[in-house]
Amino acid sequence: MKTAPLQTNSWISTLNSEKFLPIILSALILAQGCSSESPVNSSVNDESKKPRIALIMKSLANDFFASMERGARQHQESNSIRYELICNGIKDESDLGRQVALVDEMVAAGVDAIVIAPADSKALIPAIKHAKQAGVIVVNIDNKLDQEILAKETVTVPFVGPDNRKGAAMVGNYLASKLEKGDEVAILEGKTTAFNGVQRKLGFQDAMNKAEIKVVSSQSADWETNKANTITSSILREHPNLKAVLAANDSMAIGAVAAVKALNRSKQVMVIGFDNIDAVQTLIREGKVLATADQHGEDLATFGIETALDLLAGNLITPADMQTPVDLINQSTLTD
Amino acid sequence: MNMLGTFKPQKQQAGLTAVLILLCGIFGVSSENFLATPTFISIANQIPDLTLVAVGMTFVLVIGGIDLSTGSTLALSSAVFGVLLTEHDWTLFPASIACIATGSLCGLANGFISIKARIPSFIVTLGMLEIARGATKVVTQSQTKYIGSITDPISDPLPVLSVSPAFLVAVFAVIAGQFVLSKTVFGRYCIAVGTNEEAVIMSGVRIAPYQIMAFCVCGALCGIAGLTHAAKLSTADPNAAIGMELSAIAACVIGGTSLMGGRGNVISTFLGVLIISVLQTGLAQLGVSEPMKQVTTGSVIIIAVLSDALRRRWSSNG
Repeated sequence: MKTAPLQTNSWISTLNSEKFLPIILSALILAQGCSSESPVNSSVNDESKKPRIALIMKSLANDFFASMERGARQHQESNSIRYELICNGIKDESDLGRQVALVDEMVAAGVDAIVIAPADSKALIPAIKHAKQAGVIVVNIDNKLDQEILAKETVTVPFVGPDNRKGAAMVGNYLASKLEKGDEVAILEGKTTAFNGVQRKLGFQDAMNKAEIKVVSSQSADWETNKANTITSSILREHPNLKAVLAANDSMAIGAVAAVKALNRSKQVMVIGFDNIDAVQTLIREGKVLATADQHGEDLATFGIETALDLLAGNLITPADMQTPVDLINQSTLTD
Repeated sequence: MNMLGTFKPQKQQAGLTAVLILLCGIFGVSSENFLATPTFISIANQIPDLTLVAVGMTFVLVIGGIDLSTGSTLALSSAVFGVLLTEHDWTLFPASIACIATGSLCGLANGFISIKARIPSFIVTLGMLEIARGATKVVTQSQTKYIGSITDPISDPLPVLSVSPAFLVAVFAVIAGQFVLSKTVFGRYCIAVGTNEEAVIMSGVRIAPYQIMAFCVCGALCGIAGLTHAAKLSTADPNAAIGMELSAIAACVIGGTSLMGGRGNVISTFLGVLIISVLQTGLAQLGVSEPMKQVTTGSVIIIAVLSDALRRRWSSNG
């Protein structure tokens, strides 16, 4: 089976199926007759040349990117005069090769701009450089590209996204306000190769150091619920006085909550997460998770798209980084 | 040819148990709180999913097949289970039946297609791996579903035993699986087909139903594993059990199951599961870094299989 990427606009999906090829071809010929536009843009309505923007995300099986995609599609629907959108994701977050290929494919498809959440902060840079050389505008969202390598390759890509370190420190500080000096806590890290994972870990550490709370264990659970469950169970047994688990994403927080519950330590151990997925909102309401951070995934792509549109329109001459908000979510913010 | 004759499960199980005790000893010395009852209770409550999948995998490996779709089948079953409970207000019992039925259907499809069309199960189940994972994402709309306390009867520790009903189910599956494999007509034919398919056909046995049944058993056990997995985490996670098929194969192989078919023992597979789980728990309790965990786990798998192979070679020479 071909790994057909998710596509929004109709022309690519129709082109893909051979059945419609004759129809499309005749439509193209007709369109050529009516206007002098390039065939790529003459698909749906041919009165104005709408820029086409490709959104390339990470795993769509992840709530965060699923809601990012929904946000982008809604934005496109209400701004359908301004641009066309192609959404693509990869199978899982480690499918780097596929994401690199997607960038090339989008360039080949002749898009005007690419808004990308890189699965790796380094490996995507060569592909992005090619895209830029082909005249495509690139905006980096969510996971910031490695600035050193970008500089070395003399590529500038504006970054639109949250400061994960600050966000994690914010949730960490809130947790610290419920703890005392010298208390023991553990950190569940994300994938050790992911920039945002490392940033969140650093943010948690910042908050714990400031409050003089002891981090007795810091291990990676690869962003996964079940792995977080196994590791948390082990940490809880090794450290009977543990007061809190700081998970770098909500999926791992869910695993931690299940472990705490299985060992009957819900009263002693607090759990915090990051991302504010639906499932965790329920857990916060039930008091099983203390807090999480919302970095507004649904708006993140929209911010990126707006930046791309500004760049395309020539409104932004020097592409500058833009920081998007991160909010603390706890029981009281959810009940409001 | 000599393999079947020299394969003595008791000796091998003694070897695996020794490895297990050695591991516990090492972790007991190097970690403060490893050698304590709560550690083992907690391991017991962690392993039902892998145990169930590995028992199913043993059956498929014994007939000379392989099932790469087990992780995805588990995820799809638990997704169906979670969505029925949370969005369609089903009660626990019917939802559990639907969950196991989902797994069985995946297994049936694997078996039917690979056996009837004579396509290697490696390929068919590789396809199912993708299909079931995709279906999982459709069913859950790619969102983690929080189930809540409905599943507590499956995952909450029992009063006196301190282990969860899920663990008892898994232990029952091991005992029943071993009984079926070694004492029933179905089990003996599974081993016979895996050892010498031609000979079984020549002796006038229609083997296809037994082969399909083995895949179906594996699928059903993945369905039950989906149930215990969802119950353990109180959630149906679209990314659940990615790569679990490899852990299950590892457990079988450590337990001496041959990837060529014809040789396998469910009790030994269970010991393989225990070795993997003790390793995981112990390394996490020590706080070993992620790369070192992977290196260690891989090394233990190879050492366990290597030592068994050497032991068998020596005993057949001597």
